[in-house]
Amino acid sequence: MDRIQRAATDRSPMVDFDFAGGRLTMRGESYPEDAAAFFGPLLQGLRAHLDGGGADAVTFEVALAYFNSSSAKALMNLFMPLEDAAAAGRPVTIRWLFAAGDETIEEAGEDFAADFSHARFEMVEVAA
Amino acid sequence: MLASDLKTFQDASRRQGVILSFGGDLSENLLHALGEVLKLRMRQGTTDANVAKRVFSIFVEQAQNVIRYSADRLSPADAPLDGRVSAGMIVVGVEGERFFVACGNEVPQAEVAGLRSRLDHLAGLSGEELRLFYREKLRQPAEETSLGGSLGLIEIARRASEPVAYGFEDVGGGRSFFCLKAFI
Repeated sequence: MDRIQRAATDRSPMVDFDFAGGRLTMRGESYPEDAAAFFGPLLQGLRAHLDGGGADAVTFEVALAYFNSSSAKALMNLFMPLEDAAAAGRPVTIRWLFAAGDETIEEAGEDFAADFSHARFEMVEVAA
Repeated sequence: MLASDLKTFQDASRRQGVILSFGGDLSENLLHALGEVLKLRMRQGTTDANVAKRVFSIFVEQAQNVIRYSADRLSPADAPLDGRVSAGMIVVGVEGERFFVACGNEVPQAEVAGLRSRLDHLAGLSGEELRLFYREKLRQPAEETSLGGSLGLIEIARRASEPVAYGFEDVGGGRSFFCLKAFI
């Protein structure tokens, strides 16, 4: 699967899905006009990579300062195949970055973490 | 007359603590522009960063609800989400020491009962129950007619500091004016 790279905009995050290197990154704010249109190709790419055989480790680093409810749903859709891949034996780590003191993003990380039992979900506090 | 009419309008807004208000056709571009102004205003004031985030979050969810669900649409019914233009209003202000975000738009009369029961249900939940309900909805596939809105109303309720007030008023033609007001 080809690498997916997108620059951040005012309302959509920077995306770097380096499938070959096993490193996926998303950083910025996320309230795109159409969350399904923005996240759809990312989900397709991720699924294609995970279904493409191999069991190389995948690390997904999420550093969002704000996301709306449509993006939350889309993030969940990205996390689900990663958890399934982890259940099937692939080493998967989610790194959830939140700024010190940012209650909303820290809580949101805990909300997502509750659904993972096979993938490793790390809460990473960074200086504000 | 012109100056006094507009001054009366402005004074009424100020008395109600309004810091930003918009009424008319709302689009995603407009939401973004208004949101940037709101962020700037809160950065320049002494607003606590967590409060500012909650205000912004409720503002986005309410504005997107107007754009997606208002029955009074300028764009074709099948327009893509980023091309929708729908009529409604959104107001951000300060009452007492708290921010509020309110919105209003017309909805089909047939949707009133469903909205009412969802909002009553949310209003009866504690903070922790809202969080668990949000988690549950996050895992479920989207409802067929929803564009993510079921999660949006929970998000608004979660970020508010008291149950979200709502109201309906019949405007004829099979429609009702629907409004929400959330205090942060």
